[in-house]
Amino acid sequence: MNAAPQAVTIVMVEDDEGHARLIEKNLKRAGVFNEVRHFLNGTAALDFLVGHGRPEHRPLLVLLDLNLPDMSGFDILARLKADPQLKPVPVIVLTTTDDEREIRRCYELGCSVYITKPVNYETFAQAVRQLGLFLAVIQVPPTP
Amino acid sequence: MPIDKSMFGRLSMLLMATGFAALLASGAGMVWLVGETRSFATGVVSSQDVRIAASQLLSLVQDAETGQRGFLLTGEERYLAPYRRAVADLPRELPALVERIIADGGDAAAARALQQQVEAKLAELAETVSLAQSGAVEEALAVVLTDRGKVVMDAIRQAVAGIESRSLARGEARSEGLAGNARLLLAGAGAAFLLMLAVTIGAGLLARRYTQALEAAQAEVTAANTSLEERVGERTAALAAANDEVQRFAYIVSHDLRAPLVNVMGFTTELEAAVAPLGALIAAVEREAPALITPEARAAVLEDIPEAVGFIRSSTQRMDRLINAILRLSREGRRLLHPEPIDLEALIAGLAATQQHQLDEAGASLALAPGLPRIHSDRLAVEQIFGNLVDNAVKYLDPGRPGRITIRGRTTRSHVLVEVEDNGRGIDPRDHGRIFELFRRSGRQDRPGEGIGLAYVRALARRLGGDVECRSTPGLGSTFRVTLALTAPANTQTPSAEDSPA
Repeated sequence: MNAAPQAVTIVMVEDDEGHARLIEKNLKRAGVFNEVRHFLNGTAALDFLVGHGRPEHRPLLVLLDLNLPDMSGFDILARLKADPQLKPVPVIVLTTTDDEREIRRCYELGCSVYITKPVNYETFAQAVRQLGLFLAVIQVPPTP
Repeated sequence: MPIDKSMFGRLSMLLMATGFAALLASGAGMVWLVGETRSFATGVVSSQDVRIAASQLLSLVQDAETGQRGFLLTGEERYLAPYRRAVADLPRELPALVERIIADGGDAAAARALQQQVEAKLAELAETVSLAQSGAVEEALAVVLTDRGKVVMDAIRQAVAGIESRSLARGEARSEGLAGNARLLLAGAGAAFLLMLAVTIGAGLLARRYTQALEAAQAEVTAANTSLEERVGERTAALAAANDEVQRFAYIVSHDLRAPLVNVMGFTTELEAAVAPLGALIAAVEREAPALITPEARAAVLEDIPEAVGFIRSSTQRMDRLINAILRLSREGRRLLHPEPIDLEALIAGLAATQQHQLDEAGASLALAPGLPRIHSDRLAVEQIFGNLVDNAVKYLDPGRPGRITIRGRTTRSHVLVEVEDNGRGIDPRDHGRIFELFRRSGRQDRPGEGIGLAYVRALARRLGGDVECRSTPGLGSTFRVTLALTAPANTQTPSAEDSPA
């Protein structure tokens, strides 16, 4: 077990609790033990990220679903990328949609990786494990 | 009453014929009248000639009588000069007059009577003159005194007067006729003029009415076209909107159906993973304390749960395929077409080449008849249409005979018709329409597939301004006929990057 920087959190915006649970499980299996802050809707997530409860330090990563009950994931992505402090934070879009236009739009808005949630669970687990690998190579941002 | 084209033709022919007949009749009338007039004029002249000749005859006879009287009175030969001239002239003048009278249509009997009287008069004169010359003047005078000569002379005067008056009457009648003819001519010409005027006006009115009828019909056609275009436009817009809505609906549904499926699949796998240590536990307990294990618990862990998981997994996978099919159809409906020039023959030959492996495996052959045209359409869609059809043909061949697939086409004014014919197992006539519906299949379900291909082919063909239909005899083979617009219609909708499923 590696001594992961405990202060660095992963923010997960996902309205489907089942999906959230499966993602967390597979992240752990991939050896990612950072704290995962889970939000079920866009409003709460934005409140945490850019609102009053804005954390002292930047999150390590934002995992974002596009289909949220109160807003579109595109809006959250745009808000994050418009914030000078949060702009460098990698955003990984993890969603059911595999429509080309939406993928293109996400990349245009500045997302780092776009992952489609496959129904096939093996592929799903594989995708999340690759996410773990991705996390292993990104630098922990220096604390300002 | 509306005037149609053939009626207009018939009426104008009739009017023209009437006008021509009037012209002809008036011309013929003129010719006839000119002839008549000429003969009247000749008649008038000849009547006049008769009168002149008659009066000349009378004066000759009078001259002869004058000469006779002078000679008898004086006894001198020189008074006989008028007599001699008259006697010399009369034998010529007399028959000429008779001829003229007869030629003029006068009374021939009266003319001959005149001739005899004149001859009688001349005989009396000759008798007296010869008596006087021979010296018997008294006897000559006695002959004169018999009044024989006077009576004849009176008769001659009377006859000449009669001839003159009759001839005058004839001349007058002829002048009358001439004037009548002139009036007739004028009336005829007037009538012909009026008739032609009527024909001209009639033709003008007819042409005007026909033109008006044509203009009215044209206006009607234009109005009908305009309203038809409007209606077609409205319907097209409504259909495009409805189609858009269906596409969006399918898209949203398929995305929203996918999310729970991820959970079902994920947790099923988790469950399966959780059963593995349980199985190990059962095995361990069986070894250590077999009494603790009931057969139910053993069956549940080792048989029931894995079986349930297996069914959940296969059903979920199938549901995923169905959702993907809906998604694919909905995406195809939203995809922007990119029409480009396509050599259909080369395209299908290329498809056949990619299918060669499957064809060889099935022991089948594919023949491509020449004559497929070049079209302007979406390459990807056309490839998918014929790819699916050839794929199906290979998939449902009859194992009892070597497969033969034939592709041929012909071109109409606006479309190309391509037939993909096989000698495969065929399709039940009841299913010829149904097979184009999503998730519907026909016949023995012994080949893999979800019933998507033909629904997809139909959706694509319709988007390309065409359609697809099936003719088939079970046991003999099937023919799928694809019609495609030679020039694919423009995109009816404009899917944009702004479309989001939310």
